[in-house]
Amino acid sequence: MANLIVASLVGLQSRWRERQIGKRRLSRPLLLAALAVAALVATPLAYLLLRAATAPAETWARLLQTRLLGLLTNTLALMAAVTLGTVVLGVALAWLVERTDLPGRPVWRWLLAVPLAMPAFIGAVVHVALLRPRGGIVPRFLAETLGVDWQGPSPFGFWGAAFMLTLFMYPYVYLLSAAAFRNLHASLEEAARSLGRNAWQTLWTVTLPVLRPGLAAGALLVALDVLAEYGTVALLRYETFSAAIFLQLSGRYDRSAAAILSGGLVVIALAVLAIELWLQGRARAEQVGGHWRPAPPQPLRAWRWPAFALVAAVSLATVFVPVTVLAAWTVQGLRDGPTLAELDRAAGRGLGHYLFNSLWSAGLAAGLAVALSVPVAYLAVRYPRWTSRGLSHLCQVGYALPGVVVALSLILLTNTALPALRGLPLVVVLAYVVRHMPQAVRSSQAALAQLAPSLEEAGRSLGRDSLNVLLTVTVPLIFPGLLAGAALVFLTSLKELPATLLLRPAGFDTLAVRVWLAANDGLYPQAAPAALLLTLCAAVPLAFLLRRGRI
Amino acid sequence: MPALKPFILKLTLVAGLLAACAPTAPTAPPEPGAAPAGDLVLYSGRSEALIQPVIDQFQALYPDINVALKAGSNSELAAALLEERANPQADLFLTTELMTVQKMANEGVFQPYQPGTPDAVPADYHHPDWLWTGLTLRARVLIYNTQLVTPAAAPQSVLDLTKPEWRGQLAAAGSTNGGFQAHVAALRQLIGDAATTAWLTGLSANEVQFFGGHTDVRKAVGAGEFQVGLVNHYYYHLQKAEGSPVAVVYPDQGEGQMGVVVNATGIGVIAGARHAAAAGLFIDYLLSPEGQQLFAELNYEYPVRPGVPLHPEVQPLTGLRLAAFDVVAAADSLESTLDLLETLGIP
Repeated sequence: MANLIVASLVGLQSRWRERQIGKRRLSRPLLLAALAVAALVATPLAYLLLRAATAPAETWARLLQTRLLGLLTNTLALMAAVTLGTVVLGVALAWLVERTDLPGRPVWRWLLAVPLAMPAFIGAVVHVALLRPRGGIVPRFLAETLGVDWQGPSPFGFWGAAFMLTLFMYPYVYLLSAAAFRNLHASLEEAARSLGRNAWQTLWTVTLPVLRPGLAAGALLVALDVLAEYGTVALLRYETFSAAIFLQLSGRYDRSAAAILSGGLVVIALAVLAIELWLQGRARAEQVGGHWRPAPPQPLRAWRWPAFALVAAVSLATVFVPVTVLAAWTVQGLRDGPTLAELDRAAGRGLGHYLFNSLWSAGLAAGLAVALSVPVAYLAVRYPRWTSRGLSHLCQVGYALPGVVVALSLILLTNTALPALRGLPLVVVLAYVVRHMPQAVRSSQAALAQLAPSLEEAGRSLGRDSLNVLLTVTVPLIFPGLLAGAALVFLTSLKELPATLLLRPAGFDTLAVRVWLAANDGLYPQAAPAALLLTLCAAVPLAFLLRRGRI
Repeated sequence: MPALKPFILKLTLVAGLLAACAPTAPTAPPEPGAAPAGDLVLYSGRSEALIQPVIDQFQALYPDINVALKAGSNSELAAALLEERANPQADLFLTTELMTVQKMANEGVFQPYQPGTPDAVPADYHHPDWLWTGLTLRARVLIYNTQLVTPAAAPQSVLDLTKPEWRGQLAAAGSTNGGFQAHVAALRQLIGDAATTAWLTGLSANEVQFFGGHTDVRKAVGAGEFQVGLVNHYYYHLQKAEGSPVAVVYPDQGEGQMGVVVNATGIGVIAGARHAAAAGLFIDYLLSPEGQQLFAELNYEYPVRPGVPLHPEVQPLTGLRLAAFDVVAAADSLESTLDLLETLGIP
């Protein structure tokens, strides 16, 4: 009850504060800058929807007859399965690591987040190579050494895709719920226990409901990622909207069918995003201040070692097995004559070149996205009105634009409006910026929200105008927060596959593209060095973010 | 604000560094007559593994020319070329069948280029005005796993693949693959639309596993994941060279049967190409005895140039019953073929 009162008081106070701030005049240059950013991000979407709507009627009819229903069920089924899987796995792991006496907690806390450094499709490559019926490493090994004809479950199709994506996407939910478990008020649970509930009942009736808003947001982010996923589903032969769009783009001259399918995908994604934004807005009001103290860990007793086995199995499947297999392939590639020659040639052009391409394109995208996010975030946080909030929400449509869709809209745009951009790697960077702008906007908003407006007011009272204050006071002060946003954009851009694949000019390959091209041809030893290098590069910003607790 | 200056300086430095790293736009075309140098942009429907060795040899001859490769499907790259007509990005387009180059020639994407040795290409295998040139031939064959299928039981016609005994045992490259697209277009001429539709429906009913490319098909058949695959002939040799238990059937050789379908790879110079001179050198190299020999030796293909020896393991086309179809007509039916594949839901 007391909490409720505190919550409503906090809410009232902030609303009053917003009204006070809201009376300030919007700085015109800032507003124009934010408008330009929102236009940049929203143009591909608008153009795409226009193309879908104006596509020839017979293309619509052909797709409606043959593809749309099947794709819709496939996509929604996978989305539901992976979202459910990641929530169960993510919350369970977070609870074990944060709230129990699980052995080795400090190590697991880190290891369980590591899958974020590896693109899911690389995990899928390893998974297929290991488990493929008849041809896989595991069935072959069993047949040759033990004489056992074990075929195991097929790594392909719906279950294979759901399994792989759950394994590589649970960290979103895991990190969000781990943070929530850490911040959870001990007194809430103690009250439940003192009223006679046992530990299980407390978990279900008190702890999880408190986690729900954050969890829902995490789950919806997973859902959006599943919609956008291309590499994994294509490799595992499960056709979703994203894979079908890619197929249309590589199989047809006519882009209108791809535009229609993209329109369908974006409508689903926008619906998910709208729910997520709505929940985010609500979640803010439910945060409660108070006297935080850590809750004592829950003894697992007999479940201690089974729980340990679960956590170990997840780490084994997501980190140790893929890295070991990739390392073995790399070594095999280095020892085998023809493959070494192939690698050598690649290195001559070379592996370093691909690394360089990956780093500069992701780095430039990170810098641009964060720089562009500042005016939008600043307006949304300091001048909260429907216009500024709307702009901020508009900048989040990138979440609803899968890589293939961004690529398609940029292909169409550069084709009609901006032919000069055609054939430049800058288009790839632009795709990263559009696609990952939401992460930058959210990070910048979070950083700004923590900065007291009084500092800026002091600057203004000394006669500086808003723009000057923003550049000389605000940005330097929130620089660490901006850096975290940049690290996040850098990490996701590094792992990006479909847009890069479709937009890359001749001769411009990134590490992710190299891995994909080689793995798609079944040339695993050639794919492995680039895959290891990519994972290593992605681990750097990930470690930075984990240390800051900003993921 | 003393802290601001270093901060802005840092920002400027970072931005400057990043901008310096970004490759710049391609420069203006070189003076005519200048020694060929610079980036030669090649769009290739052949996968990178099957073209890179030839590019490497070319670059050894012409170290000043840097070949920038974009490999993809024929149709994906053709779509890009059509969009780029006003502002061409590529110098050359190489395809795995002739329908697409013929279609591009019709659309005005190519400029004529007559190779230095025009006799190297038989008249059937180049455009009458040299808008495209054939490079190598490949036969559409059946590969099967000898541990799972006996030679007597192996299918002898592509039309056999719809028989119920092969249900769940077949692999093929899907509707984005140029070789498969061209094969279907050829079948429409050879056996008619109704029979082709029935054949494709039969493949779907037989749960054929369609892959993005033929490498997957040969590997899956080699590993025994599938018993039979529909591929170009050299994929059989490539898989055999890896030590897999595989054998090949050149299908439809019986009396009254249509014969084996043979495609050619083709190449053309893009109209408005920035490096047309270098592009010509590249084509000349591919048609030279050395270039043709590379295709024959490394990739078991049939050289288009008469007199270049085949790889000893490759069955010569002479003496085989070859399917008779018209490339120009097939090119005109390309889009309706793609529509057909899509309507039937071939992935």
